[in-house]
Amino acid sequence: MSTAQTTTSVLSERKQARREQWRLIFRRPSFIVGVVIVLVWVACALFPDLIAPHHPLNYRTGKHLSPGWGHIFGTDSTGRDVLSRVIAGARDVLKIAPIAAVLGVFFGVILGLMQGYLGGWVDLIASRIVEAFLSLPVVFVALLSITTLGRSNLVVIGVVATLFTPIVARTVRAAVLAERDLDYVTSAKLRGESKAFIMFREILPNVSGPIVVELTVRMGYAVFTVATLSFLGAGPPPPSPDWGTQVSDTYNNLIADFWWPTFFPAMAIASLVIAVSLIADSVQSVMEGS
Amino acid sequence: MKRFILKRVASMVVTLWLLSTIVFMVVNVLPGNVARKVLGGQALEEDVVRLNARLGTDRPLLTQYWVSIKRVFTLNFGDSYKSQVPVSDIIFPALGRSAKLALLAFVITVPLSIAAGIYAARRQDKPIDRVIVTTGLSTSAIPEFVTATVLLVVFAVKLDIGKAYANPPKGTSLLGELEYLLLPALAMSIAYFGYIARMTRAGVIGALHADFTRTAVMKGLSERQVMRRHVLRNALAPTIVVISTSVGYLIGGIIGVETVFNYAGLGKTMLTAVNSSDIPVLQGAVLLVGIVYMVSTLLADLLIAYLNPRIRLERAQ
Repeated sequence: MSTAQTTTSVLSERKQARREQWRLIFRRPSFIVGVVIVLVWVACALFPDLIAPHHPLNYRTGKHLSPGWGHIFGTDSTGRDVLSRVIAGARDVLKIAPIAAVLGVFFGVILGLMQGYLGGWVDLIASRIVEAFLSLPVVFVALLSITTLGRSNLVVIGVVATLFTPIVARTVRAAVLAERDLDYVTSAKLRGESKAFIMFREILPNVSGPIVVELTVRMGYAVFTVATLSFLGAGPPPPSPDWGTQVSDTYNNLIADFWWPTFFPAMAIASLVIAVSLIADSVQSVMEGS
Repeated sequence: MKRFILKRVASMVVTLWLLSTIVFMVVNVLPGNVARKVLGGQALEEDVVRLNARLGTDRPLLTQYWVSIKRVFTLNFGDSYKSQVPVSDIIFPALGRSAKLALLAFVITVPLSIAAGIYAARRQDKPIDRVIVTTGLSTSAIPEFVTATVLLVVFAVKLDIGKAYANPPKGTSLLGELEYLLLPALAMSIAYFGYIARMTRAGVIGALHADFTRTAVMKGLSERQVMRRHVLRNALAPTIVVISTSVGYLIGGIIGVETVFNYAGLGKTMLTAVNSSDIPVLQGAVLLVGIVYMVSTLLADLLIAYLNPRIRLERAQ
């Protein structure tokens, strides 16, 4: 009886603390700045036709104009408006990166819960595999996979999610280890709950803090990785306004001082990754109490 | 210490075996025909058969698996499918060039970022600390190819400082090469700077708040003595770990930089191999980077254990 009471009071205290944490996060200026920038890019991805002044592919001036009035980001070598292409290019990375990050976190949470709660040989074997995965360079493996499996968004998502899974699992495992011997787990065991119930209904809600942190951090790395891969040729092919594709399509002309068709999509990537990492950093520092 | 080293090396052998298994699985994950996938649906059947024979992908899966395990331990990665040259003759010189670039980036970054981290930690939560932390956070979030592009535009094109092509002409002296490698190394440093600076800052802040530091201050040591003897000694251990484990990260980020500056390192070699579907070179490069990463983590662990007897005892058990 008394154990049950302490457990409920501990749990509601935690809920209170979590609400307080979110209030603190929303008060951080870096979080607000990050969210605003991300929302601007999400709007561009959703409604490029409403925001962009011209069509990203079909509009052509026929002139390679430098930035100025009329075309504030200039036009590229085939006369397309760079600003419109940057706006339309938000779509690909914002579609692929979140899916990859969410999938990676999803499988990482399952693996981490099993490792941490079941322990024993499951944990022993999984830990070794996780360690091997951590020594794999993400971009290199992605390039190898694209060569053997073909170039597609699906392969990029699959590779990024697979390589994120062990990283997430390691964090979740550590969090689960701290929970598994607490009273509420013991009492669930005594009630005769199944292992799956204890893992997913009892422990999972209590390790949501580190999972949220991991999700925001992974989101940043996913944008980083997807942009890099599309620069290296794994993304949509050249006429596409995808940012990484635009940079790789135009960087050879930098030396001839045609800097704007490369520079602006590059800055777009930079602004998005910085925004996501500002959000991740705010969430992390509040949740981990530093 | 001996026991600790043995344990650590044994676990590395297991990880190496798993690493080669993973790479093997990436190539063979989908049942069917590797050469067909490389050449595409329209290729002639006889070409597909010939390529499978050359790659060894027509042999039984178990034989192929055994071959790929052997490769990681003997560092013999077979022949390039494109140029028939042994893969090791291609990737080792390329690794050497990448290492040169990474080393320069390392020399630029490490002292600067540690100094910035210490400086920020001693002014915790003051405006200058916020500036260093936010700058570090932002620069380490930006992909290296973006930083490389911006540096190329600003310095090589606009200001005429440094070179846009990083490959030095034959016969350039070591000092002359510096001019060619400066901008790409700087691009990598910028990505790397924030990471080390943040870790150093966290370590120093931790040590500044520790009991031993308070004791040292109370017994009347000068600020300089406290910093040197008590704070930094304890704070820099995590920084060493970060520096060494991010060697793999440094090499991973090198592909974008080498591509932008057309530098013939491991990253650029890998990208060329992707464009010609040169699977043996790709496999070799992935394995090699994995090995480099593992060895550097091992060295870091040994260094930490050497510096801190507590960890040595804890891990040997």
